[in-house]
Amino acid sequence: MTTKLLICDDSNMARKQVARSLPDDWDVDISFANNGVEGIKAIKEGKGDVLLLDLNMPEMDGYQVLETILKEDLPTLTIVISGDIQPEAHERVTALGALDFIQKPVNKEKLTEVLLSYGVFTKPTSDTESKADKHLSAAPAAAEQLEKVVNTEKPVNTTKVIEPLHVAPVPVSNEQPPEEVEITMSSDMRDCYQEIANVAMGRAGDLLARILNVFVQLPIPNVNFIEVSELRMALKDIESTESTSGICQGFISAGISGEALLILNDSSFKDVASLMNYHYEEDKSTELELLMDLANVLIGSCLKGVSEQLDIQFSQGHPEVLGQHRNISDLIANNAKKWKKTLAIEISYSIENYPIKCDLLLLFTEKSMQTLNNKLAYLIE
Amino acid sequence: MSLESSQLNELHWLMEMLHNIDVGLVVLDREYKIQIFNGFMENHSGLLPREVKGQCLFELFKEIPQDWFVRKADSVFLLKNKAFTIWEQRPYLFKFDSYRPVTGSADFMYQNTTFLPLLSATGEVSHLCLIVYDVTDNAMYKQSLEQVSPESLT
Repeated sequence: MTTKLLICDDSNMARKQVARSLPDDWDVDISFANNGVEGIKAIKEGKGDVLLLDLNMPEMDGYQVLETILKEDLPTLTIVISGDIQPEAHERVTALGALDFIQKPVNKEKLTEVLLSYGVFTKPTSDTESKADKHLSAAPAAAEQLEKVVNTEKPVNTTKVIEPLHVAPVPVSNEQPPEEVEITMSSDMRDCYQEIANVAMGRAGDLLARILNVFVQLPIPNVNFIEVSELRMALKDIESTESTSGICQGFISAGISGEALLILNDSSFKDVASLMNYHYEEDKSTELELLMDLANVLIGSCLKGVSEQLDIQFSQGHPEVLGQHRNISDLIANNAKKWKKTLAIEISYSIENYPIKCDLLLLFTEKSMQTLNNKLAYLIE
Repeated sequence: MSLESSQLNELHWLMEMLHNIDVGLVVLDREYKIQIFNGFMENHSGLLPREVKGQCLFELFKEIPQDWFVRKADSVFLLKNKAFTIWEQRPYLFKFDSYRPVTGSADFMYQNTTFLPLLSATGEVSHLCLIVYDVTDNAMYKQSLEQVSPESLT
């Protein structure tokens, strides 16, 4: 019997990765959904006996999808595939009825193992058709369904239906389209960066949750190819609304270099201190100690997440304190002549029940784009 | 743990440390061919170990003035003595980008270097180790201080 499988993730790359990681000899009918709203709709249309669900999505996130499934008693078996790997995220989704939790980036062995263990997928005993045939027969159906699922966004180019996994339109993003310059970022690429950032962010968030013993709310990372002036504006904005402290740290690998910036609202120090069991005294040294601890954890694990996925290794320079002596935006202003554009990955962590807000920016130089794009091309293939 | 395996472990740690330390390390033979290149050098130059092994230093890094370098190195080989260069004398040996491309204001990485003689078992200096330190921040501070009050440094 053909299993109706629904993959619900806002990232095109992630959907492809999941679809590729399915067991070879599984007789499935795959549909895709871009966000929770589409996912629920597809389940109601009977397209999701089995649901592979991401957690961080726009419109309606994975938790809300699980709640809706529970509330409306929808007939689907859910396995969560997420970059958010905090133990508490795992507990929460299990409490909401998910069968299991798989860490991103997903791989075939793990996914097969989980599917087997819940009896969702059983190895066929008699192989009447060849594997390739089955796969092909499932594919066009998936494309058709995909079209139905996503046609609320925009008409799908029908000539592409031959390659079903590539049809999915780009998830709607609230970011501005990149400007036309020498180097541009295709929406496919942006999606790819976003997914990489998503996994890296999850790793860092997990560590943060462990040291603070809290639940970290993970956002959808913002990926933009921006002008230096835009970055300056963004930083000015942060500075003007609240007083902040920051740490920056350079990183470099063959052909890829950039800087990580960690910006923490000064008002967050007290809460962070109590969570980390520091005796908080309002002096610069405790604050710096805290800031450095956070920076080490977040910058280090985020870079590690990126470097593992791209199969590179970064050297990290010594961190530098920003804002204590100079304004962040001024620092960048000094260099306006040296570089014009940067690939910026912006992640805003917030912590449940605490007014702590902390921004992590990964800025890659324009020069790095070539190498990065080459590395990504391997991943998309 | 047996003695042998603990020694192996120590060697492994040493290698790991040298590879990851935030300082450039290069070993050259007497013909200035590169023998070892650590992670710092790999990442900043963008060259892989297999691309540099056995290659002549001056061919890979055109920015190094050969005559000047050989003169320094010769004295190290001959005198079995360390030699130093500082950024004020020559801002860099290897032309690398600044470690902080976004918030740093330097156009390149300022470097201090040490030339270290490596003795063979026979007591001769067969190889030379280059140690490259990133001193960009120092250089930038000193330069901006000079701009503000030139006399403060004299």
